[in-house]
Amino acid sequence: MVKFYGLLRRQVQPPVLEISTAELNILQLLQLAERRTGQNFLDELLDPEKKLLTGTIILVNGENIRLKQNLETRVSGGDTVDLFSPAGGG
Amino acid sequence: MNGWMGKIAKIDLGSLEQETVAIDDEMRRRYLGGRGLGVKLYTDLCSAKTDPFAPDNALIFMTGPLTGTVMTSGRYAVVSRSPLTGTICDSSSGGSFGAVLKSAGLDGLVIQGRADHPVYLYVHDGGIEVRDASSLWGLNTQQTQKAIQEQTPAKTSVACIGPAGENRVAFAAIMNDKDRAAGRGGMGAVMGAKNLKAIAASGSQTVAIADPEGYKAMNARIERIVDKNPVTGKSLQVLGTSVLVNIINAHGMFPTENFRRGMFNDAEGTSGEKIAESLLQRQSACYKCPIGCGRTTRTKNKHGEGPEYETVWAFGAQLGVSDLTAITEANYACNELGLDTITMGSTIGCAMELSETGAWKEKLDWGDASKLLALVEDTAYRRGIGAELALGSKRLAEKYGRPELAMQVKGMEIPAYDPRGVQGMALSYATSNRGGCHMRAYMISPEILGHPVFLDRFSTVGKAEIVALFQDISALVDSTVLCRFLQIAMGISTFTEMLRTVTGLDFSDEELLKIGRRIYTLERVFNNRAGFSRGDDTLPPRFFNEELQTGSSRHRVVRLEEMLDDYYSVRGWDKEGVPLPRTLAELGL
Repeated sequence: MVKFYGLLRRQVQPPVLEISTAELNILQLLQLAERRTGQNFLDELLDPEKKLLTGTIILVNGENIRLKQNLETRVSGGDTVDLFSPAGGG
Repeated sequence: MNGWMGKIAKIDLGSLEQETVAIDDEMRRRYLGGRGLGVKLYTDLCSAKTDPFAPDNALIFMTGPLTGTVMTSGRYAVVSRSPLTGTICDSSSGGSFGAVLKSAGLDGLVIQGRADHPVYLYVHDGGIEVRDASSLWGLNTQQTQKAIQEQTPAKTSVACIGPAGENRVAFAAIMNDKDRAAGRGGMGAVMGAKNLKAIAASGSQTVAIADPEGYKAMNARIERIVDKNPVTGKSLQVLGTSVLVNIINAHGMFPTENFRRGMFNDAEGTSGEKIAESLLQRQSACYKCPIGCGRTTRTKNKHGEGPEYETVWAFGAQLGVSDLTAITEANYACNELGLDTITMGSTIGCAMELSETGAWKEKLDWGDASKLLALVEDTAYRRGIGAELALGSKRLAEKYGRPELAMQVKGMEIPAYDPRGVQGMALSYATSNRGGCHMRAYMISPEILGHPVFLDRFSTVGKAEIVALFQDISALVDSTVLCRFLQIAMGISTFTEMLRTVTGLDFSDEELLKIGRRIYTLERVFNNRAGFSRGDDTLPPRFFNEELQTGSSRHRVVRLEEMLDDYYSVRGWDKEGVPLPRTLAELGL
């Protein structure tokens, strides 16, 4: 399951996408999600070279992919992926 | 003089004596303005024995060298000793009051004494008029600002207290420009103890700029930087600070029911995304601010500003309340009555847990939004159980024999990040000079949000150095006096450049960091003299002994002792947290 938060919700509604697929990495999942939703939201999360923007948060079952294998982190059915565009507050 | 106006006014409200003093070049170079210069002036005037409510206690309003110049420069700082914590305290607020005070010809205002009847100060053209405020006493902050603006020239900016400040509630705020708050630490109560209802400022003086061409180019550059950054240029405008609700909840560290849990089932219903699609009327911005994180909102029956992230949490998850309208209207009430929303909400949460345990006979239930407004109002007027809530959580929990149920550090309530899920923030809370506060070193930035670099939130390695560095940078920015959100988009070298073009002083980045360190250390010296030491650099036992049970911070506790000795070592303090003589000498203290 992929959940969209923050500015991503301006493009993706409803903000939850169920994807049943074989194991893939996060970048592949994001590209698949773009196709499924018909929305180009990757530039809210990645730079033109397909690297995470400063401030992008992607959690897999609550764990930040920056502490795993970044966009190479593998996911499969049953995982929950939270996508947050760069944000701040306080 | 470039940057500064060169004058600080002093007034004794008892004797009505006034004087204007020049701030010498060395003082400006060593402390800049705002928080730093305010703390220096305060510690020169008052001792660690000074009672916050005594007439001789000083209440200092300060602008900084960048006030009234670059973006976000409408802010001001208030410095005094906190009646909530007993520590030195500064509280800062946005809006335009700082810029207007400076346009009246002053860098700052030092107030001592106690008026024999309610007064307000009208500051203009470098002079101060003491005006009768008997008819204003009892009015809320909105009514007060309106009434004074009817008596003063157009564009007068007003900073005032409401009934909470008049009644010396320990966490009363000072409100300016409608709903901007110098919220934390009870500066409004200090103002009330002086019988000072408000300060109104107006003026037409401008700030002299040392390098007009460089200033113009620098402004254009920082505007591009802020606009291009996805947080300052987009997220904060569209979603405000409450965008953090879902983020912090997803990390399992959104404090729920007085920090007993780290996930709130209805976080989504109180999120920034939800506010944007329901209550939001428009964004609002402070003086010269291109970011516009403020929220002008409307419920079915009321309208006002907020709620922002901390307030959404304080009246929401902290109390188990998911009614966004009730949260928002409690926020409006705090603005009108002049109360700090964080301490107000957290103290109610403490009271709910005291009630549940049977330590307190009053019946307050988790999730019950129906009593919120009455509790807030009763606190401001010290009526009924409100008189007890007005103590703040530490004194309340001590009174009922359960001090461990107050989620505070040094008497100030911890804000909306459970430290068990973020070790650097835990150290930041514990060592904060004004108590449980996120603004001394906002470690959420690297440990959760990934600005400017991403750090492992569960690691304690290297956190001492970073917390100390962030504390120094925060003290520096608070002394310029600009909005902290600029730090999201720009590093210290940009602040160096701003100071150079405005003041003409060619500081290095290292010199600015040393100014921050000097300020932080001076605050610590005051606190040491007031009796604070290592034993106070801690957190409530819940964070050491009770693991979080759900979410991605489950099974975590705070590991403070792994960081505290390193922190003191980095700071040049001894094992008890007292600055060493060589540290004081190096900083010229």
